[in-house]
Amino acid sequence: MSILALLEAKGVKAYYSVRRGYVQAVDNVDLVINKGTTLGLAGESGCGKSTLVNTLMMNVKPPLHLIEGTIILDSKVISDMGMSILKKNIWGVIVSLVPQSALNALMPTKSIEGFVRDVIGHHMSVSDSEIMSMAKKRFEELNLPVEALSMYPHELSGGMKQRSVIAISTLLNPKLLIVDEPTSALDVSTQKQVLRMLIDLRKTGITESMVFVTHDIAVLKQIADRITIMYAGKIVESAPTDNMLYDPKHPYTYSLINAVVTPEPEVRKRGLTSIPGEPPNLLDPPKGCRFHPRCLKAMDICKSIEPNLLERWGNHLVACHLFPSNS
Amino acid sequence: MLLEVRDLKKVFHVGLFKRKEILAVDKVSFNADSGKFLSLVGESGSGKTTTAKMILRLLPPTSGSVIFKGRDVWSCKKIDELRWYWKQVHAIFQDPYASYNPLHKIDRILYQVFDLMEHSGSDKEKMVKEALREVGLRPEEVLGKYPHELSGGQRQRIMVARCYLLEPKLILADEPISMIDASTRASVLKLFSMLREEHDTSVIFITHDLGLAYYVSDEILIMYKGLIVEKGSPDEVLDHPKDSYTKRLTEDIPLLYRKWTGF
Amino acid sequence: MVVPPILKDLFRIKKLDVSLGVIVGLLLISIFGSILYRVNPLAISGPPEQPPSKDFPLGTDSWGRDLLALLLAGIRNSLYIGVTAALISLSIGVITGVISGFKGGVTDSSLMLITDVVLVSPSILIMMLVAAYLKERNPIFVSLIIGVTSWPWVARAMRSQIMSLKSRDFMYMSRMAGLSDMKIIIEDLLPNMASYTFMAFVLLMSGGMIAEAGLSMIGLGVTKGLSLGIILYWAQILESVRRGMWWWFGPPGACLVALAASLLLMSTALDEYFSPRLKGG
Repeated sequence: MSILALLEAKGVKAYYSVRRGYVQAVDNVDLVINKGTTLGLAGESGCGKSTLVNTLMMNVKPPLHLIEGTIILDSKVISDMGMSILKKNIWGVIVSLVPQSALNALMPTKSIEGFVRDVIGHHMSVSDSEIMSMAKKRFEELNLPVEALSMYPHELSGGMKQRSVIAISTLLNPKLLIVDEPTSALDVSTQKQVLRMLIDLRKTGITESMVFVTHDIAVLKQIADRITIMYAGKIVESAPTDNMLYDPKHPYTYSLINAVVTPEPEVRKRGLTSIPGEPPNLLDPPKGCRFHPRCLKAMDICKSIEPNLLERWGNHLVACHLFPSNS
Repeated sequence: MLLEVRDLKKVFHVGLFKRKEILAVDKVSFNADSGKFLSLVGESGSGKTTTAKMILRLLPPTSGSVIFKGRDVWSCKKIDELRWYWKQVHAIFQDPYASYNPLHKIDRILYQVFDLMEHSGSDKEKMVKEALREVGLRPEEVLGKYPHELSGGQRQRIMVARCYLLEPKLILADEPISMIDASTRASVLKLFSMLREEHDTSVIFITHDLGLAYYVSDEILIMYKGLIVEKGSPDEVLDHPKDSYTKRLTEDIPLLYRKWTGF
Repeated sequence: MVVPPILKDLFRIKKLDVSLGVIVGLLLISIFGSILYRVNPLAISGPPEQPPSKDFPLGTDSWGRDLLALLLAGIRNSLYIGVTAALISLSIGVITGVISGFKGGVTDSSLMLITDVVLVSPSILIMMLVAAYLKERNPIFVSLIIGVTSWPWVARAMRSQIMSLKSRDFMYMSRMAGLSDMKIIIEDLLPNMASYTFMAFVLLMSGGMIAEAGLSMIGLGVTKGLSLGIILYWAQILESVRRGMWWWFGPPGACLVALAASLLLMSTALDEYFSPRLKGG
């Protein structure tokens, strides 16, 4: 494992067991997250991005199973750890996940302070007053009103709730913060506030690295250093942000990025592309490259052999037979 | 002028004795011309969907009028007058799941509209199949199926096929592509352009997505708290916004080719 | 004979088959049993307090009456009262709920006020008072008493169904297709409520049978009547439990539990089947 890497995942297969078989939600994924980066993980719904980030921190409960693969986080092999060690030493401490439904997960009968106690309580044997002063200090650091701590969820706006949840998730300064669709339910101005806070978390050094899961690629232009695109449970391309947005190589990525519509004259000029067909059923995915049934550039080899994710053009990786290995 | 909306207002009353008033739409006025694409842009709670329902003659306004081809729509009470209206003004809603009665096959949503048109029974089937082909669906794949057996994209296309059958003069499309996969959105949008080319259909897009509005409209109207705060062509609204809400909106939208300043 | 696909699908559910089997089985046994086993349940047929034997398959009670005959008649009557009480409750509940949900406004608020009052009234107490007041209680009366106190939840449930259906987009699509109100109610609204109405009926029947048994066991059931509850009442008064006469309280108790549990199981199966469809898959 390189010294630059905070998290390294190799050959990760995470499947959901259902009556008819296994839904191959994450299939043979290799991923490296370097220290000090914000990685944007993007793809359409059903591509496996939420499953992947949960698996990366070993938040794996039936019907989800980690079939194969190793995950090394901060030089520890967390894929071998038991639940109790994960809860005590890893979750909240080294990695924190703010899930998609975080806004709705707040108990309506507990104030934000109560939530803080729940989250911090079983990690450190610190007194209650110390926990509260930690929370107050952190809120001040992040320009959040301290009064919010004593309020109940229904008294706070959506944006305020989201920022509070994120702030509390980082109280113990985890090295890696994973946020799953944190702004999808928010209006654009509130979204900008939340994004600003996420950037502050990196700037102030409270968190070292971040993974931002979304289907909204324009947001990633604003905050991500690197973008990774998933399709049907696999990583198809991974590159620094501007490379990905302005020079996408994989046919799927190309179409996906050209389907983004923002109020810019460039978008009007290039038009919008769409891809025929629908994403595949992951109970029985297509053989070979999972995108080949919808790919306008599909070749014979694509129907039978899965392309590997290869590094080309210096830290721009792509899994496509159009770009075979250099040798 | 195809459609004139004049001072539409909607107040909701909540509670039995202590009647609380919610002003959802506050004196909204605008016009829509044949073959023009118009966007009503606003975030949730802005009143845009309520406005659409009043125009569609589904929700009675508290005050104000909707004039279509010179006739006051809300004073039409008889069923044949209503049918005249709905043949020419129709809707596509946001949620392709909720737009169908789950207990009926999707065929019903298409065959239903023949009541609005003067039609002999003979070529109904042919017309339905052709409308489905126009929207890029194969009739054998979707006819006879229940809604839950089809994808969101297919369901939305069938809604557009319903419009193809009617050849309406005006369609109100409420977030027509927000709930379908990004990779298939552009092809559904093209269908609206085809309707415009072939039948001079005007479309009012109701959306929160300023990017979509900019891409597809001839005119953009921005709604905020029940009022129209900005009106103009896409370039005018984006490059020279006059209202502070519009300015904030254009500053806060994440862009693909530009980074936010001071971020 | 063409079997509608929905029935075919339903019969594939194991829970439904089992529960329906139990109910229909017991019903058939009680109907045909009485025909085949021609013994007057209320007549003194033999020596008292006999355990099961060749002559008396379920033994006799303290008066010497044949317990198998009593059981067969009892099942029939319990089912009868269960169905009648359920129909009464269902009618009141559905009509109230539908009117309330559809009309809205003042009608809605006033009907719901009445519903809430009945809901919070102690139904068991009321049933006991009314039952004790009536010197002669025939099965219809008992069904009525039970039916009139158990409809509020049905009304509320129907009302919520209507209210949520009213604003679903597909209702708008039908309206814009120019369908008349009546056609919309029949084609769009009622089918979406049919499954729920049926489930409510099944639950009401189960509750009705248990309520009847409860009334009977405190002596307020059908006067001079026969039901599983009444058999248990006699069994209890004459201390059959303490005296180990399992053949007296066992079979009626087991049948009552089997019937009530099967009905609950059936409603669960129906709920599992219908819910995902109603939500659109």
